[in-house]
Amino acid sequence: MSTSKPAAHHPPGPTVRRGDPDSAVVSLVGSGGEGAALFGELILSMAARQGLYGVMVQSYGPQIRGGESASLVRVSRREVCHEGEETDLLICFRTPDMGRFRGFIRLHEGSVVTLDSKDTGDLPEWVGTAGVHTYRFPFTNIVDGHEVAGDPKNMLALGLACRYLGWDADLGRHELRQRFGNRPALLSKDLDAFDRGYGSQDMPTMPHLQGSGRNLHIETGNEAVARGAMQAGLRFFAGYPITPSSEILETLIDELPGHGGSVVQAEDEISALGMVLGASFGGVKAMTATSGPGLSLMTEMMGLSAKSEIPAVIVDCQRAGPATGMPSRTEQSDLNHALYSGHGDLPRVVMGVMDVVHARDIMHKAFSISEGYQVPVLVLSDAYIAQRHQIRDEVPPPPAQVNRSVWREDGPTRFNLDTADGVVPFRVPGTPGGQYLAAGIEQTPAGTPSADTTIHALMGEKRWRKMDAIAEHTESWFRVLGKPGATRGIIAWGSNYGLLCEWVKAHPEYRAFVPEILMPFPIKGLEEWRKGLGWTGALELAHTGQFYKYLKTLTDVEGTRSLKRSGGLPLSMVDLDRLIRQAD
Amino acid sequence: MKPKDYRSELEPVWCTACGAFGVLKAITQALTDLEVPPEKLAMVSGIGCTSRLPGYTNAYSFNSLHGRSLPIATGLKVARPDMRTLVVGGDGDGFSIGLGHIFHAAKRNVDLTYIVLDNGVYGLTKGQASPTTETKFKQRRGLAGPDEAPLNPVMLLLASGCGFVARGHAGNLPHLRTVIREAIQYPAFSFVHVLAGCVTYQKPEYADEIYHRCDVLPENFPNDDFIAASEAARGERFSLGVIYKKSPGEPLPDGSVTDDDDMGIWRGIQVS
Repeated sequence: MSTSKPAAHHPPGPTVRRGDPDSAVVSLVGSGGEGAALFGELILSMAARQGLYGVMVQSYGPQIRGGESASLVRVSRREVCHEGEETDLLICFRTPDMGRFRGFIRLHEGSVVTLDSKDTGDLPEWVGTAGVHTYRFPFTNIVDGHEVAGDPKNMLALGLACRYLGWDADLGRHELRQRFGNRPALLSKDLDAFDRGYGSQDMPTMPHLQGSGRNLHIETGNEAVARGAMQAGLRFFAGYPITPSSEILETLIDELPGHGGSVVQAEDEISALGMVLGASFGGVKAMTATSGPGLSLMTEMMGLSAKSEIPAVIVDCQRAGPATGMPSRTEQSDLNHALYSGHGDLPRVVMGVMDVVHARDIMHKAFSISEGYQVPVLVLSDAYIAQRHQIRDEVPPPPAQVNRSVWREDGPTRFNLDTADGVVPFRVPGTPGGQYLAAGIEQTPAGTPSADTTIHALMGEKRWRKMDAIAEHTESWFRVLGKPGATRGIIAWGSNYGLLCEWVKAHPEYRAFVPEILMPFPIKGLEEWRKGLGWTGALELAHTGQFYKYLKTLTDVEGTRSLKRSGGLPLSMVDLDRLIRQAD
Repeated sequence: MKPKDYRSELEPVWCTACGAFGVLKAITQALTDLEVPPEKLAMVSGIGCTSRLPGYTNAYSFNSLHGRSLPIATGLKVARPDMRTLVVGGDGDGFSIGLGHIFHAAKRNVDLTYIVLDNGVYGLTKGQASPTTETKFKQRRGLAGPDEAPLNPVMLLLASGCGFVARGHAGNLPHLRTVIREAIQYPAFSFVHVLAGCVTYQKPEYADEIYHRCDVLPENFPNDDFIAASEAARGERFSLGVIYKKSPGEPLPDGSVTDDDDMGIWRGIQVS
């Protein structure tokens, strides 16, 4: 085993400044299989143990396995839902691997870069190399000119990062024992490597970030969606594996049976939503999850949910499209599909997830609306939230749910028109006397199939009456950011919430409006919020400005700029700054 | 309960002498034999002439989308194992647009009874060839569609591992009643292929022609023998009866008959 030697030109162990005094951002760039993701998870877990908040995001190529891989972790004294703008510590095993991560990693003048002592390459200029401290460490084991297996590089990096962050070595050792205690041989190897990395006396360090000491929780967006749904009473899930939503299926396979619910892995997405409607027809709270291609397949079935008034919650973890697109990369371009897809006049509710913490909350709301009004509810997440690990406070007990109103003997006919909010008690199979026909075909109030145009008009009006009731129910379902007096405004939705939290903090002249529910839109809230604004922009990650165009159908947005970019990487502060300049 | 008690008040809009009347009657008779309470009965269908059938039954019925009856019934049965769940439809609904679901339903082996009325034609859309239209009939009637060999649904179901495969004819009600009854009793996925004619888009003698090519299987037919079942499924003639019935095995404590975790189903543990 080689020993760590400082590069001759580098002053030993300086204390460096960081970009944001409350946070530290650490990035690791490696090849697939070198454990960049595990590195990030371990750093985040150590942060959570100390009561620090944080976010971890990953980036990898078009294939989910293999190729270059990077993870980026931000740890912070305050709750954060954005990975931060600039990396404080970059560890890169091979400089040519940096090529794929343009726009994902940015350095600042105080950044520290750790490269392999054997690597003679340079970092690309776009990463911002001016003024960075470069530190060399022997990651690779070279024998007779060939790289041979040595210490696990990610564990060497973990030791280095732990030292850099000013964290106690025992914290790292404890973390590894927790994680690998059941695999002693692996643990021993990992501990050796960790100690070797941590023992690098010359590694620069930063001032210690002090956490609250409370043990916080880590969740991914997909886990939060799955668990939020379970808390809301989910008892049936069917899904078909698809990136980036598969972990919702996996989490529920592990956790839902213990809550008395069942999971079916369906043969395709048509079947997945079909099974959900079957279960929900049976009176059981049911959900599916997918991404864009699956949502396309589910569209006809979504119409059936709306027509037959059978509740269904559909989660769409958006990825860059169209067609296969970039499966592991984020975008907000399924909005049009969510809002407008399907033949006929079909009512549906569309909601947008803002971050991992919000993911649990929104699932409670999604089920309340779906069950309460017997409509399909689409919950739009995206790859950025779905795959992100985020540290959160303890999960509060779930709020009270609105449940499906249930038919009792002598109740109204299944599709009775005499209802103010369009909702008629649901006939749960097994209830004597409640037998009826649910159908895709148009029906009379009693449920008889009908081609009577007057009936069709009345039934359509009744189904849409629910949307008015939902609009009233949800008129306060939005968040505002920034100071009320700010004169510049940004309207955005979904995962851009995280960026806007940072943006309004750095730019107090801005405030932001982020709806939780997109259809029906909390328009009164928007109009109230807009008062007193000068410059306004509508921000989204979609090439065609889908959100901006949707806003145009809701209100007069004359003068509002469209701030849009196609997806892939989430938006950064630099991106937003550029979009605002371009729009002016 | 009498057979008519399993009927809703709706009068079927099928053509006079449609084979679907026979299927409806045999189903209501079998339900009478089994004394299924109507509130515990679910009838699921897709779209097509036969898929109207759930509307004519006194049950929790679901006339869903074209080809999608099996996924909907699967979700219902997994979520509500207490519901006796029958799935009905025609050959276009089942063997064309919905074909992909059949193999997975058989493999998943959820306790559904799938009854397909096969008249070898799309009736609702006025007489196009279906996956089971025989070439000579297609040519004789000048039906639209390519001259392909028809699918053999019984062979397909056998190949998919279905544990109960039977066939009846809509014109032989006493036989169809017993076959459907046995299918409903089978504690896992079961399939009943029902031959019928279409009185509007087939020649009037079609149903008879088909029936003359049917052979009721003998009492001692070894329907637990897959090879014998496969032989019976082959050829120009149609075997009627329970063609294949494999022992579903001892039920697990939760009432399921297979290890669901191997089937892509993870069932809820009852929390007392």
